[in-house]
Amino acid sequence: MTLATNQLPEIDVEGWVCRKCGQPLKVSLVAVTYMGSSFEVELPGCPNCGFTFIPPVLADGKMLEVEKMLEDK
Amino acid sequence: MPMHPQILRDFDPHCVQDEPPACQTQCPLHLDARGLAGLMAEGKLKEARKIIDRYLPLNGLTAYLCEGPCGRHCRRSELDQGVDVPLLERVCVAQTQAARLMPLPRSGQAVAVFGAGLSSLTLAWELGKKGHQVTIYHTGPAGGRLVGHPGLPAQAWLETLEWLDKLRVVFEEVAFSPAALAEARAGSQSVYLGFDDPALTPELLGLSAAEAEVSPVSLLTSQDKILAAPFHPGPPRFVDELAAGKRAAGSIDRLLQGVSPEVARVAEETYPSRLYTSLADIPVKSTQPPADPWVPTLAEAQAEAQRCLPCQCLECVKQCVYLQHYLTFPKKAAREIFNNISTALGNRTSNILALSCAECGLCREICPGQADTGQFVHQARQEMVYGRHMPISAHEFALEDMAFINSPEFSFFRHQPGRETSAYLFFPGCQLPASLPVATESVYSHLQNHLEGGVGFALACCGAPARWAARPKLTTRMVETVRGLWASAGQPRVILACASCAVFFQAELPEIPVETLWNVLAALPRPAGAAAGEVLAIHDPCAARHDQATQASVRELAQKISQPLEELHFSGQLARCCGYGGLAAAANPALGAQFAQKRLGDTDKPLLAYCIMCRDRLRREGRPTVHLLDLMFPGQPPAEAAQRPAPGLSDRQEGRRRFRDNLLKKLWGEEPPLATEMENIIINIPEEVAARLETRRILRSDIQRVLLDARERGPIFSHPGSGRQLAGLRPRQVTYWVEYSLCPDGSYDIHDAYCHRMVVPGIPGEGRDSVSVAEGFNPEGGRA
Repeated sequence: MTLATNQLPEIDVEGWVCRKCGQPLKVSLVAVTYMGSSFEVELPGCPNCGFTFIPPVLADGKMLEVEKMLEDK
Repeated sequence: MPMHPQILRDFDPHCVQDEPPACQTQCPLHLDARGLAGLMAEGKLKEARKIIDRYLPLNGLTAYLCEGPCGRHCRRSELDQGVDVPLLERVCVAQTQAARLMPLPRSGQAVAVFGAGLSSLTLAWELGKKGHQVTIYHTGPAGGRLVGHPGLPAQAWLETLEWLDKLRVVFEEVAFSPAALAEARAGSQSVYLGFDDPALTPELLGLSAAEAEVSPVSLLTSQDKILAAPFHPGPPRFVDELAAGKRAAGSIDRLLQGVSPEVARVAEETYPSRLYTSLADIPVKSTQPPADPWVPTLAEAQAEAQRCLPCQCLECVKQCVYLQHYLTFPKKAAREIFNNISTALGNRTSNILALSCAECGLCREICPGQADTGQFVHQARQEMVYGRHMPISAHEFALEDMAFINSPEFSFFRHQPGRETSAYLFFPGCQLPASLPVATESVYSHLQNHLEGGVGFALACCGAPARWAARPKLTTRMVETVRGLWASAGQPRVILACASCAVFFQAELPEIPVETLWNVLAALPRPAGAAAGEVLAIHDPCAARHDQATQASVRELAQKISQPLEELHFSGQLARCCGYGGLAAAANPALGAQFAQKRLGDTDKPLLAYCIMCRDRLRREGRPTVHLLDLMFPGQPPAEAAQRPAPGLSDRQEGRRRFRDNLLKKLWGEEPPLATEMENIIINIPEEVAARLETRRILRSDIQRVLLDARERGPIFSHPGSGRQLAGLRPRQVTYWVEYSLCPDGSYDIHDAYCHRMVVPGIPGEGRDSVSVAEGFNPEGGRA
């Protein structure tokens, strides 16, 4: 399952960089898993080190919504 | 794994809300009079007509004939007069068109009917619609007792005959005789004898009284193929004739289809309704007879329809915010929960319904059928756990907290200082020391001073949250911890401060002798510093609803310290839940708050609680509330104690630890363990961030853990423009993020902290927690 980026809230990553390599963040397709389900979502992160950046608006919103959905599955 | 249907079958009959009301069960035609009155009251005549056409035969002719036996059984008749349902029918029938007749194609089956009374016409109507060929043999004018009826409009009668004509019903004048009967019998599949036509008697057809006797169920006589109208003692009633025609038609239709006419017809009988309806607070509203009873006006009918109560139970729903919130009643909720658990494919969208009940038991106390929704919900939760469909996040926070309190590093038992044995063991529970540490210490001191044989102290959680969450393995683990503490104390009598502990001990640890703190205190001298305040409304915890001795002790204690009380209607056995019960507030915080608000609606007085969770939850919803220990062992004046804010999640956890360390040092001279590096991390959290953390259930210790990791590993992201850092860690099944700035003094300013349960790439941490491990959940792979 791929969530189109237009389903996700605007993520403001302006000014954030990877602390390890100093690279600015870039949006890429990453694998997200929960309750045995795995799907790919476009999320910002460090293109070198593979860290994913999650802002509060995403954690409290779409992620929580999908978590609840998967728990009810 | 589906839920066993027997659980639902056992529960179902207790809830009577969807039982039909008396007007319907006592109507020989089972008219939905309540539904009719509801629609008529709103002036919805077309919809009302659909009800009439569905239940009543002969194109609404019934409206002019029915004697309205429902009126005698109407609950309103106990207040003033029963609702005049035939009046409603008459207005509806006169002002609306009947539904178009849609007879089935001809069946080729012939039915002969003798007598043209109302039962015969009804039977012809019913069987004609089914495509059977009905011939009515009669002498003189058709209609039987209808002929010359003062209220029957000629037009309605003519229309009925026209409708019967459309159903291909044939009227044939004949001289009633044994030969005529024999001929009809030979030429048809069944014969019906409508003795309600005064022109027809058994003798005329050559039948003895015994031969004309019928089975009350099928109306079949002992003669092959012959059915007959039953004999009713007393003056004849049209409604019985209508019912007889309908019943005989049902029998004939069954015979033609090869189905037994005798079985499964109980629903056609009249019977007392099981529906409970309270008449409390229903004002008297006498009927106003219409100017012309045969031609009432719509306004008169609407006024009459508005007198319908309407009958329904909903006794528990009136008091339960959970059932109100889900717009349901116990039987409906049980079915939804059952279906939800039995879902094989797709989402279990009603999980939250099973998790939001406080299992407080108030519904059972109120219910006329003793339906125990809480118990049903609890069984459902067990099935959810067994079937591995219990949403992990619902109870995880509470269970993690519980597991930590009962860990060997935290829970403890000590004999009274200076003693080697304990006659008693004071068990304050997990929340009292966290929220009210000074009073907990004071009451322990009071117990030591007045009880003989030594009073030991145990700090632990009884395990009630594991039971509410229906986690069997965790419950067992908690029970073993508590039993272990009790055994190491030498198996003394346990003094419990918490009503939920008392219920849990009784259920899970019945071998342990227990007494509530309040019963013990009531027998001891009044504490020297006890203080009373203004009048307080007393709030019993729902867990103590059946503990009358404790309820009495608490009131006795209040009296002893001269504390005036206001008694609420919903107290004692009818105690309301604060929302903590059954972990309702853990799974559904917004609804949990509504439980407390419902309680606050009972009085405008400040409250007195003797369960600390009740106290804190009622206070959190805005009402000044004191705990009884606030009065007996005051650390501040009662009015101030009532205003003390309810501690947050972190306050509670830290308060409990501080209590533990202080008590161990003060009474047993034990030095607390040195603060760990993590605990030494100083964090500064602005108020608005703290409020968000509370909602997100993030503890200050969670933040410290992330920062400790960031100290060693470095944060993941940084924002050079603002100097802020973002650290992430997944120490258990939750990923925490902390956005912070490092201050020159080495402390941390916390700008935000948030969490999610999904796993995203690159975040360090173990991702396992004790609850999931205990219950066999594989954190990353879903259900093990």
